[in-house]
Order: sequence, then C-alpha cells, then structure tokens
Amino acid sequence: MTEVARALRDRTAVCGTGLLIGEYPERTPLSLAVEAYQLALDDAGMKRGDVDGIIMLSFGSDYDRFLEAVGTDVRYSYQGWSHGRFVAPMLQHAALAVATGMAKAVAIVHGRRRKAYGQTADFEMWRQGLGPHGESPAYGALGPVFGAAIAAQRYFHMYGGSNADLAPIAVAFRKHARLNPLSVRSDPMSIEDYLKSRWIIEPLRLFDCCQNNDGGACLIITSAERARDCRKPPVYVSGMQGVHAGRQFHNLTLPGLGVAQQEVYKYTPTKEDLYAYEMAGITSKDVDALITYDAFSPLVLFGLERFGFCGPGEAREFVKGGRIEIGGELPINTSGGLLSEGHVIGWNLFIEAVRQLRHECGERQVKDANIIQYGSFLGESVIFRR
Amino acid sequence: MQPSLKVKDDRTGRYLPVIYPEEIPFWEAAKQRQLKLQRCNSCGKAWYPIGPACPFCFSMDFAWSPMSGRGTLHNYVVYHKAWTPWFEKRVPYAVVQVQLEEGPRLTTNLLDCALDAIRIGMPVEAAYEDVTDEITLLQFRPASAGK
Repeated sequence: MTEVARALRDRTAVCGTGLLIGEYPERTPLSLAVEAYQLALDDAGMKRGDVDGIIMLSFGSDYDRFLEAVGTDVRYSYQGWSHGRFVAPMLQHAALAVATGMAKAVAIVHGRRRKAYGQTADFEMWRQGLGPHGESPAYGALGPVFGAAIAAQRYFHMYGGSNADLAPIAVAFRKHARLNPLSVRSDPMSIEDYLKSRWIIEPLRLFDCCQNNDGGACLIITSAERARDCRKPPVYVSGMQGVHAGRQFHNLTLPGLGVAQQEVYKYTPTKEDLYAYEMAGITSKDVDALITYDAFSPLVLFGLERFGFCGPGEAREFVKGGRIEIGGELPINTSGGLLSEGHVIGWNLFIEAVRQLRHECGERQVKDANIIQYGSFLGESVIFRR
Repeated sequence: MQPSLKVKDDRTGRYLPVIYPEEIPFWEAAKQRQLKLQRCNSCGKAWYPIGPACPFCFSMDFAWSPMSGRGTLHNYVVYHKAWTPWFEKRVPYAVVQVQLEEGPRLTTNLLDCALDAIRIGMPVEAAYEDVTDEITLLQFRPASAGK
C-alpha cells in the first residue's frame, strides 16, 4: 500500500445524497439530475455555492449544461460514460479531487429517462470488436442481458447448477425492496413466482433482470472534517480499488469463466485483487453488508466469488438459506438492488450504503452496521465506514 | 469491399454487421466461403476480435491467414425474447460462442442444429450465410460425421 493510500483512509466522506426512482413521463434527464442535486444539497445542509466540483454521468445533458441550469461555476469537472461499472470510479475521482484539494466538495450527478433524449445506448451494440456486454447484433446477440446470460451458462457448465440456483437472489432482494418505501417493486415474490417467470435469454428469466425505470441521483463528497459539520453523520470513504479490465475481464462475468476471450480457470482473488481491504485496514470478515451490482442476478454470485466471500463455484450454495437477507450472515443489496428497488445505473446502490451507515433504514436496517462494502464482479470497490 | 455503417437491411429489417475498415479482409474472405483471421508474424498466434496489433506479443506485423474452420462449441444461450420484429419469427434461437482450433473464440450462430441438441464441447465447422448482396456472415454448423 502506498503512503498516499494510507493517508487517504477515512479522510473524505459522503455528506449528502439525493435519489429519485420511478416513472417521470413529463421530465427530462436534466430535470431529474437537478432535482436530485437539490435533494442532496438539502440532505447535507449545503448551498449551491458550497459545491465547487461536478462529475456527471448522464444519459441526457452534459455536465456544462447541467451547471448552466443550476447556475454554478466550479473548479473541478469531469464527465464519464454511463454504465454501472463506472459509478464507483466516479465516486473515487470525487474523493481524490477532495483529498488533493482540487475541490472542496464534489457533487456526482445523474439523471436518466428510459427511452429518451440524448442517449446513444442502442448504437453501442455496433462498436468495433463487439458491444459493451459482448453484443453482436447481426447474430442476434442483443441487449446487456446477453453478457450475463453467457456468463451464467459458463458458470453452470463449470460448477454445476442451473437457473433455479438464482432464485434465492431475486427473492431475497424482493423481500428487501418490500421494506424500502422508494422501491419500484413492492409486490411479493416467491421461489415459485420466480420459476414461473418467462425466459428472456435462457438460462436467465425475466426475474433475473433489473427494473427499467426513470431516475435521478446525486452524492456529494467532501473532506471528513467538513462532513462532520453537515446535517447528517458522515459516511467515510475508507478504501477503494478500480474496475479491472482486459481480455480476462469481460463485462458481466467473473475472470476464469471462459466468456469471449477469457481463459478458463477457477478464479480466487489474489492479495492485489483485494487492495481496497488493505487500504481500509479491514478484511472481508469485517464487512457488515455487501452492496454489489445486480443488473442481472448472476452478477451477485460473481461479486461474492470476486471478493472471496466464498470459493470458486460455491456462491450458488452461499446465497441459499437466508444468508444474504437482512438478519443473515452477509446481507446483500438491502435496498432491493437494481433487481427490485430500481435501476439508477448503480447510483442507488451507493446511496443505500450511505443510508445504512447513517442507521436511517428503519425496518431494513442492518443492526449495528459499521462497515459496508460496495464491490462488484469486475473488482471495483469502495469501502465505507460509519 | 467498402466499410459499411449500415446497421439494418432496409428490405428485410435484419440487423447487419458494421464493417470497420480494418475488418474488410475478414468480410471479403467470408464472401469467398473462407474463414480468415489475423495471425501474428512474430509469435504465430491468431487472435480475435480483429484489431491492429497482436494482443499476445503486441507486434503489428501480421498476415490475414486461413483458419481450419474447425472448432468446439464453447458456450451458448437461447433467446426467447425478440428484440426487433425481424426476430419475432425466429425465437427461440441460439447465440453461441465457438472456440476455433487456432484458439480465438467467435460469437456466432449454429445452423442446422435443433436447440435441444446443442451441447457445450460438440465439434463444429464453419458455414456461411449470405445476408445481402455484399455481406456474407460467418456461421457454424455441427461438424460433418466422418471428418
């Protein structure tokens, strides 16, 4: 671990969040982003002028249009590309900008309407060398779910099991969503309901796929010192690590499964693969709840094995028997996740980590939650501490 | 053959591949019922996706080389949802990944094979499907018996 990493531990914090999830047919991505920003400022007890950095991952307006709309000039701005795997890096950039003094407070902001206004997602499928989830339209390999389906098939081929092994994940997250007043889905789901849901891309069913809704989200990051003066308790950024990428890291899968050009082997994390724990000064045993990217249910299996919560091929047993439910040994996606709370490109997953560590989750509160990890199958992670 | 940015056949509504400039030798070979990929003149390996350098040794010295066309079915999924009207008459259909004898894996379809006969590990061989006057898609089918 570097000197800088050691110095960064718990020196920045999330001080404000704003979240909108649902149907907003009269709204644009810009207006959803602006409202989320207002909510986050209010949550932090801040004013516009307190924020001097902006990071935007929008499906609509660019960062500079957003700043024009909210009447703010900043001295740190950055715009990324809206995919779930890039949410953690945006939060990391914000923490680094604050820690290095490039900005005093950075708002990371997002607004999205499902079918509309300035988004290019449909054309991503035709990118050179396959789409962002392995899509190849001429062969009918369509939709982000393709990446998760080919990964799940390889996982079952290597380790045994079948689609039914994913049911406990969808069912657990629906239970969590029913305790969350913001959730898009609050209707109950049983294992039988899950098994009756229609195939989308076999081996994945409709209930293996996330919700598709409109939304807006904002998190404000500032120094630990300043966060302690804000309205709500600070949620410290303790450790972090990046999105791993390359021929061994196809999107929506785990290394070793042999998707696309990946080698075939049983993946177990190396010390370097777990850098965020070292930076935070913890081990996976200290994690009170795991928040992981769940656009599709198999990603939960991959997230668990990526961070060594269980060995290769063991996650499909690990998720059974209530272990990943609130009150279980390792609660996962306590908000209901993208599968049931709603899909705000993963921003809402980070906001749930904050809500849990502020102990403001009511019925779905993880008792005495002190450390929560965001960690996903591509290795990106942020460890938060109360 | 020219690069093509056309994503859909106006006549049939079928999705087409975008043809990037450095992929033209691949598509020209497919039209001739041949499977050609780039093979590195330094380390000898073939690679995919098509790109400007060898991902194994990073040499930019390569030759478009005929592949055997033989491979193994490495992975498959079955689409039940039709993403566009063109696919409505075709679901359920399979998308497969084939591992060539030479190593690279390609995302493709498996012709002449019932969905319930698809098995990971089955031997397959290259096949070709003309989709427009200009474009022929590389496909695969179960390997012929006795070969």
